Amino acid sequence: MKPTHHLDDATVISYSSGALPAALAVVASAHLERCATCRDRLLDADRIGGVLMQQQRVEPPTEEARSAMLARLDIEPAIAPEPPAGDMGEDHDPDRLPHALHPWFGHSMRALRWRRVAPGVQRIRATGIGGGDLMLLRIAPGSKLPLHSHGGSELTMILDGAYDDMLGHFGPGDVADLDGEILHQPVTSPGVPCICVAATDAPLKFSGWVARTLQPLFGF
Amino acid sequence: MTHAINNTPLDAHYWSAQMSAVSAQRDRASFMRIYDHFAPLLKRYLRNLGVPEPEADELVQEALLTLWRKAGMFDPTRASLSTWLFRVARNLYIDHVRREPHWLPVQEGLDRLDHAESARIDSEPESSLDQDFLLQAIDRLPAIQAKLVRMCYLESKSHSEISSELDMPLGSVKSSLRRAFAKLQRSMRAP
Repeated sequence: MKPTHHLDDATVISYSSGALPAALAVVASAHLERCATCRDRLLDADRIGGVLMQQQRVEPPTEEARSAMLARLDIEPAIAPEPPAGDMGEDHDPDRLPHALHPWFGHSMRALRWRRVAPGVQRIRATGIGGGDLMLLRIAPGSKLPLHSHGGSELTMILDGAYDDMLGHFGPGDVADLDGEILHQPVTSPGVPCICVAATDAPLKFSGWVARTLQPLFGF
Repeated sequence: MTHAINNTPLDAHYWSAQMSAVSAQRDRASFMRIYDHFAPLLKRYLRNLGVPEPEADELVQEALLTLWRKAGMFDPTRASLSTWLFRVARNLYIDHVRREPHWLPVQEGLDRLDHAESARIDSEPESSLDQDFLLQAIDRLPAIQAKLVRMCYLESKSHSEISSELDMPLGSVKSSLRRAFAKLQRSMRAP
């Protein structure tokens, strides 16, 4: 199943240049694991980095630096180590979370310990992430979320279930890459809960009094 | 014309041959040819990102050691050596300087996926000609787009940092970067 909603070009550039805030980078990595199209786009962005790096004016290395480098090679084992065996082939298991999420939420979707934050909405918030806010959300099927926009950037990836909003239908693997100007109101599909991982670099803004009542519950 | 390009030391085939010698014969002379050309570029890149001199020297050595260890993973049909080394240095920067301990394992996982893919599909090699087109396209970018691209890559500034530093709305920062990326991508696909 190929994702149909991808990372924004500006996000790809930011990821490539090492400037994407940590929480957003986790969600981008999770999508990249599932999306060959975005991996190719990332490679294009990395080519820009490679060319800009080559363009710089520099002096040749000093003799001192060269001998330090050779001394490091002397203490390296003669045989290059085998690359570790890939363990990414298990992605067909629908219970398994993307690798990029393991340090923050563990491996298994079933083993997650959800906390109710509002009617029909459960959440797990990652702790200790340096830049931004990272959380898993589990939203009951057929729910309408409060209308909201974002102060900064928000990146959401669907892990299970689906939702629809003015931007289209979002299913597993899809990312919604939104900036501050977009006001949206996702409606989750009937059937199974919609589980997604969301990252923001700034607090969300809900509009309307119902939403303002909900906001403290979300704790965004 | 082709002959002249093939003789420049920046040629993709030249670096690809050095990499084969490093991976197959553990050839130190080839390794040092790569070192002499790329170590100063990597160091300048890291110093521009604000990495202090001693740490930058350490990271450059680390990047070249990664090359020594993983030369067999280098795939010239997937990326040129400068692209590959840019990735290595960027990843070390995020790991060591920004202290995001999960970044390297995640990137290694993505590399393996890429590796499996290029073995499966018939990908176009990245030639030095493509790099020349890209370089020209960067030079032709409108001033503001060029500035934003450089602030991203050479200063590693986030969109919101750029937005507040230039007093430019976040949406405009992003849309300028999108336009720049579209132009640069087209240049890489130039016939």
